[in-house]
Amino acid sequence: MNAIFAITKKETKGFFLSPNYYVVAFLCTAIFSWVYPNVLNKFAQALATFTMQPDMPKQQLNIHYQVFLPQLNILNLFLIFVIPALTMKLFAEEKKMRTFDLLLTSPISSIQIVTGKFLAVMAAIFGLCFLSFLYPAATAVFTKLNWASLIIAFLGIFLVGGVYAAMDLFASSLTESAVVAYVMAVMLNMAVWFVGIGVDIADSPIARQIFEHIALNQHLVGLVEGTIRTNSLVFIFSLIFLFCFLCERVVESSRWRS
Amino acid sequence: MIEVQNLCKSYGGNLAIQSLNFKVQKGEVVGFLGPNGAGKSTTMKIITGFMAPTSGKAVIGGVDVFEDPIAVKKRIGYLPETPPVYGDMLVTDYLCYVAELKGVPSAKIQSHVSDAIEKTQLGSVHKRLIQNLSKGFRQRVGIAQALVSDPEVLILDEPTVGLDPKQVSEIRDLIRKLKGHHTIILSTHILPEVQATCERIIIINQGQIVAQDTLSNLAHLQTGTRKVHLKLKKPSGDMAQSLMKLGGVLKVQCGPSPQEWLLETTEGEDVVEVIAAAVMQMGWGLLEITSVRADLEDIFLKLTYGAQA
Repeated sequence: MNAIFAITKKETKGFFLSPNYYVVAFLCTAIFSWVYPNVLNKFAQALATFTMQPDMPKQQLNIHYQVFLPQLNILNLFLIFVIPALTMKLFAEEKKMRTFDLLLTSPISSIQIVTGKFLAVMAAIFGLCFLSFLYPAATAVFTKLNWASLIIAFLGIFLVGGVYAAMDLFASSLTESAVVAYVMAVMLNMAVWFVGIGVDIADSPIARQIFEHIALNQHLVGLVEGTIRTNSLVFIFSLIFLFCFLCERVVESSRWRS
Repeated sequence: MIEVQNLCKSYGGNLAIQSLNFKVQKGEVVGFLGPNGAGKSTTMKIITGFMAPTSGKAVIGGVDVFEDPIAVKKRIGYLPETPPVYGDMLVTDYLCYVAELKGVPSAKIQSHVSDAIEKTQLGSVHKRLIQNLSKGFRQRVGIAQALVSDPEVLILDEPTVGLDPKQVSEIRDLIRKLKGHHTIILSTHILPEVQATCERIIIINQGQIVAQDTLSNLAHLQTGTRKVHLKLKKPSGDMAQSLMKLGGVLKVQCGPSPQEWLLETTEGEDVVEVIAAAVMQMGWGLLEITSVRADLEDIFLKLTYGAQA
C-alpha cells in the first residue's frame, strides 16, 4: 500500500512540477476560452428567438444538451490526444533510462507499480477536468443550473479519461520509445472513439445494439443526461480493469522474458 | 547467505551463463571478475530477482529468489550497470523515493537518507537535480540508492565506472567499511579493484566459472614460473645466450628499452641469486633486479583468454 502511494506521489509530482503539464493545461483553457463563450452565446440567441418558433424541440432549449454536451465532446477529443502525452513516458521512459530496473528490483509487485502509475495519471486527468468544469460552473452566474447532472457529466468524462489512461499506460508498457508509445496510444483511443460511429452506420438492429453497448460515447451521453446507469459503470470499469491487467501482465513479463 | 545452484540462462538459444554454482558467506566481499560478455551482469540480475533463470535457482538468506521475490528484494541493495536515477528529481527526493519503495518505515527514512548521503559524500549536491550532475556523481547517487535501505546484501555491478581516481579510492574505502555488516558481491573488470576490496574472487568466462578462491590461493595457482626483471648499464650482444645457459632460466626476452630484460625462470628463489651472480661476473653493470611473482592479471588472462591465446 505504501509503495502504491510512493509511486503515485512521485509520478503526480512529476506531472504537476513539469512545464509540459502546464502547456497542456494552457491548451485546454485556450480552447475552451474560445469555444465555450461562442457556444453559450449561440444558445442564448436560440433562447431569445424561442418565442417565434413555438415548435422547437424541447432538447434545444436545454443548456445541458446545447452547451455542456458539445463542451464535453471537445474535452473528450482533447483527452484522446493529450492523455497519451501524459502516459507515454511512464513506462517507455523508465525502460529506456533503465530506471525500470529499480522498480523491478524493489520489494513491490507489478500490480502496485501499475496501480501507482494509473492513479497518478488519474490525478493529472482530474486537473484537466477540473479546469474544464470551471467554464460551466461560471455559467451559474447567469442562470440556474442543475448541479447534480453537471457533476455527474464531468464524473463521466473523468471515467472515460480513466479508460484512455489505462489503454495508454498499456501502450507505454509495450515499448521503449515514447514516440511509439504515443502513436500506439492515440490509435487505441481513436479506435474506441470510432466504435461510436458504428452506432450511426450499422444496418441491422442487433449490430446497432452491440455498438451502443461498446461505444464509450453512448455511455457518456447517458451520464451527461444525469443518469448513472450501472451498465455504463460496469462497462467503463471493466475496460479500465482489463487494460490495467494487460499492463500488469506486460510489466510482470519483463521478469521472465529474455 | 547467497547460494547459487546450477544457474543457467539463455537468450533465445545463446547461453549467457551455464550451470553456475557458488556460495557467499555472510559478511563476505566477493569479486565477480570476467571479460566483457562473460555473464557477470546476467548472474547479478538473476540474484536480484530482476529476471528469471532458464533453469537452476538462487537462494538468499534461505529464501528462494523466485519463490518469494518480495522478501528477497527487501534484503538486497542493487546497483545496475547504469545507475537507475531519475533526471528530474532532486538527489534527496530521489533517495527518499527509493527508501519508500524499499519499504523503509517512514520514521526512519530521513535518517537512512542522510546516512546514505554521508557515506557516498553527496552532501554538496543533495539539493540539485540529478540530470545536472556529472557522471561520477550520478554513479555515487546510484551507490547511495543501493545503500539507502541498509540491506543485508549489496550487489554492485561495476561500482567504480566513471569515477575519478580519488573517488574510486573513496568507494573502495567505503566497500571495505561495509565489509562485515553487509554481504557484498561486486563485479568488475578492473583487477586492482578486486585486489583492493575483495576477500574472494569468482572468475567467470563465457558463462562458466573458471576459478573461485581467495586472493592468496589464486596467486599460487600459476606455480612453476617466476618472472625476473633486469636493468643493466652495458648489456653485450651475446647476453641472451649467456643467460639461457644458466640453470633455471627458461626464456629471455628484451624489455621496453635495450637496457631492460625480462627473464622467465623456474619458481625457486635460488635462480635469482644465480642470475645476479652471473651478471656481476660478466660485468654488465647491474642497475636493477626485481623478481615478479605471477600476479592476478596473469592468472586472469590465463584463465579467461588462455584457451584462445
